Amino acid sequence: MQLKDQVALVTGGSRGIGKAIVQKLAAQGAKVAFVYRGAKDAALALQAEITAAGGVAKAIQADVADPAAAEVVVGGVLADWGRVDILVNNAGVIRDGLFIRMEADAWNTVIQTNLNGTFWFCKAVANQMALKQRYGRIINVSSVAAEHVNQGQTNYAASKGAVNSFTKALAVELGSRNVTVNAVAPGFIATDMSEAVRSKAGDFIEKKLVPLRRLGQPDDIANVVAFLAGPGAAYITGQVITVDGGLSLGAVTG
Amino acid sequence: MTQDDIFQKVKATLVDALNRDDDEVTASSRLQADLGAESIDFLDIVFRLEREFGIKIPRGELFPESIFQGDPSLVAGGKITEKGLAELRDKMPFADPAELDKFAADPKLDNMGDLFTVNLIVRYLKAKLGA
Repeated sequence: MQLKDQVALVTGGSRGIGKAIVQKLAAQGAKVAFVYRGAKDAALALQAEITAAGGVAKAIQADVADPAAAEVVVGGVLADWGRVDILVNNAGVIRDGLFIRMEADAWNTVIQTNLNGTFWFCKAVANQMALKQRYGRIINVSSVAAEHVNQGQTNYAASKGAVNSFTKALAVELGSRNVTVNAVAPGFIATDMSEAVRSKAGDFIEKKLVPLRRLGQPDDIANVVAFLAGPGAAYITGQVITVDGGLSLGAVTG
Repeated sequence: MTQDDIFQKVKATLVDALNRDDDEVTASSRLQADLGAESIDFLDIVFRLEREFGIKIPRGELFPESIFQGDPSLVAGGKITEKGLAELRDKMPFADPAELDKFAADPKLDNMGDLFTVNLIVRYLKAKLGA
């Protein structure tokens, strides 16, 4: 229970990697508020599951791409629980397509959610963490696809690359106030978001591109997020931690 | 609230914000050169003063540190121009005129931080609180 009595806020928390992060932080004793956009049933089920297990969780509906959302969400968490120790910016979307045919909407949606959503939520907690608490852990979920880019993902790669740079720059500014800012860059994780790619090339990825010979599970990411949120990571800031089973080594195996 | 009451509260605020010993903070201490304040510390100090004194301090009102950014009529060759000095006096009516005169004698932009003293904060609050 290394996060006992801490307050965590996780965006994109109802499904996939976010759900595993919510479960992990709650299991370690944190009170977890998590944001979901559309998956209300899944969100309420997760909230009920954690509560039944003796934890504390609260599902909050919001779209992180909405510039007004973060202030409202963070304001609510502060009103209820008085502080925010951990922020996990996990909400992310893909709108893949070849650039020549990419509509502005596909670009904007991805940037507004993945990058601007991270900006808004960091902005909403920064004063609280840096000045009021002098403590905070910000963890941005990036992607290995920021550096090891894929065809059809100009928008996604740009958004995640920007999140990595933002993570480093923010870490510099908040360091003197005991707020660490790190990113976790997952590789291929078995979630709904990667379903399209996995159904086409899952076998090849697993057998040829991932030295650990398996796809990642949401828990593989949640474990690292929980570590970065915990006392063991006190001296780590401004880092992008790749969690990809060795995919980014770029070796073809077998 | 007397001037000394204000000073004591400001001093306590700075001791906390800048992690200093009590006797290091005097009326003439300069926040940067003497007390080691960094840029984020100025935000922190403003935040704490607002809370401590129950007031709102608009951005740039107490520490108008960025009024000269990118305006060549206000700064030339690393020095603040006559126009810039007039602007500064206008922006800081609460500052000690003697301190401003001292600064105006050699108005290097790099030295502007020397204006930001404990005494300046006390004078600002005194004016703000109508004390």
